[in-house]
Amino acid sequence: MTDSIRIEDVSKTYVSPRTGERVEALRGINLTIQSHEFVAIVGPSGCGKSTLLALVAGLLKPTSGRIFFDGVTVSRPGPERGVLFQDYALFPWLTVQDNVEFGPRARSIAAEERRRISQELIRLVGLCGFEDKYPSELSGGMRQRCALARMLANEPKVWLMDEPFAAVDLQTRMLLQQELLRLWGDDREILSRRPVMFVTHGIEEAVFLADRVLVLGRRPGRIKATIEIDLDRPRPPHRNSPATGALVERIWRLIRDEAAEAIADE
Amino acid sequence: MPRWVTRIAVLAGVILAWEMGVRLYGNPQRFPYPSAVATALVRDLGSGRLVVAVVQSLSRVLLAFFFAAATGIVVGVAIAVFRPLDRALSPIIDSLRSIAPIVWIPMAVLWFGITGRAAIFIVAYAAVFPIILNTSEAVRRLDRRLFDAALTLGAGPATLVVRVILRGAMPTIIVGARVAMGFAWASIIAAELAMGIKLGEGAQISIGLGQLMVNTLYVERDLNGLVGYMLTIGLIAILIDLVMRQFHRLALPAGAIP
Repeated sequence: MTDSIRIEDVSKTYVSPRTGERVEALRGINLTIQSHEFVAIVGPSGCGKSTLLALVAGLLKPTSGRIFFDGVTVSRPGPERGVLFQDYALFPWLTVQDNVEFGPRARSIAAEERRRISQELIRLVGLCGFEDKYPSELSGGMRQRCALARMLANEPKVWLMDEPFAAVDLQTRMLLQQELLRLWGDDREILSRRPVMFVTHGIEEAVFLADRVLVLGRRPGRIKATIEIDLDRPRPPHRNSPATGALVERIWRLIRDEAAEAIADE
Repeated sequence: MPRWVTRIAVLAGVILAWEMGVRLYGNPQRFPYPSAVATALVRDLGSGRLVVAVVQSLSRVLLAFFFAAATGIVVGVAIAVFRPLDRALSPIIDSLRSIAPIVWIPMAVLWFGITGRAAIFIVAYAAVFPIILNTSEAVRRLDRRLFDAALTLGAGPATLVVRVILRGAMPTIIVGARVAMGFAWASIIAAELAMGIKLGEGAQISIGLGQLMVNTLYVERDLNGLVGYMLTIGLIAILIDLVMRQFHRLALPAGAIP
């Protein structure tokens, strides 16, 4: 296995636009994600997990330290690093199909090829028959499927996912998790899989999906622990095995105190 | 009784009372009346000079509107995207905006002479502010996540501006354009009225509706013709608004905006 993402001693400090206060979102992050690895990042509110993802996406610049993707320094967003946003960020004035074709079109791919890509992906995420609907006409789960298809249309080399299922109901979330694993290649050979950085609040979700779970602490955001999830793939759809429970419990213990603090702060 | 019957009855009553009032008690030298207005309108339509003047005024409005839209959209997007530019330009824009367009007429005449270009300047000035304000407000209200999404999907600056910023802001920009077009039509008449016509001084200017009115009032002393033009101006204002409303509808496909 080779490195896909390498984060070297990255720190990020914000100046709060409201108070003018300096907020240290991340301090001294070192992290390597390998080519076929699914990494989930969990932590209490305000631990900087979404900031970390935005840094890798190139949407933010680190205050210090460096981020490499395939050996090249990340300096701006690019289609080889696909991002899935929590609130979908679909273009409300475009139909499902035009949303999915946005990336290929931005990269000047011919109309016929775009059409072929979008039709295949719309079928893959189960949105057949909804091609001409606008995002406002879709349910939360369907919007996230559309956003997933839109991200995949660029064939990104890495998937960066920022709490993608946080806004959908529990049953939809469980279905989307399974679909995500299927699309990623949970049941296929390891070489067909893409590296994934998956930010989530859900510890069970992290354990169910990931090969490795990073636990971030807050104030400043830093990596507190790394937990290897050595459960078999493909992951069975029923999730409450003793092994899973033990992992969830272990991670929860790491987060619990700070999560309570985070709630008290708000 | 259906509502429209009442309306038409009231309208007919007012016109009749007006006609009778002027004929029985009024001085037709000072007060126009409906039947004479109708006759004057038919005469001016037949002679073609009303149509020529309308085309002249409308083409000035369209040219000025084009300048105003191009400038207003560029400035509006720029101040919405770059905060320092907003801080620098907003006081200037707000000060200029509070100076009514017709106040600029002396200056416009000084710069451009009594020409169509002076009128175009006034109209563009009137039209540019609603476009700047609506554009900048619309762009500011766009969800910044959409910019992030576009960039991570491989959009360059041009794609971001055209397919996300302008497209997302378009419905509100068109609302601004609609207001701007109303201002433009009001101020072309004002500008043409104020500049009037100067005969025999070599100041050649093609006659728009406003100038036709000045000519009708001071040279021909034809009150009824004047009222005919006033009605025409109102009618064109309504038509312009109808057209702009259609554009607005085109920018809002069904279900596109929640």
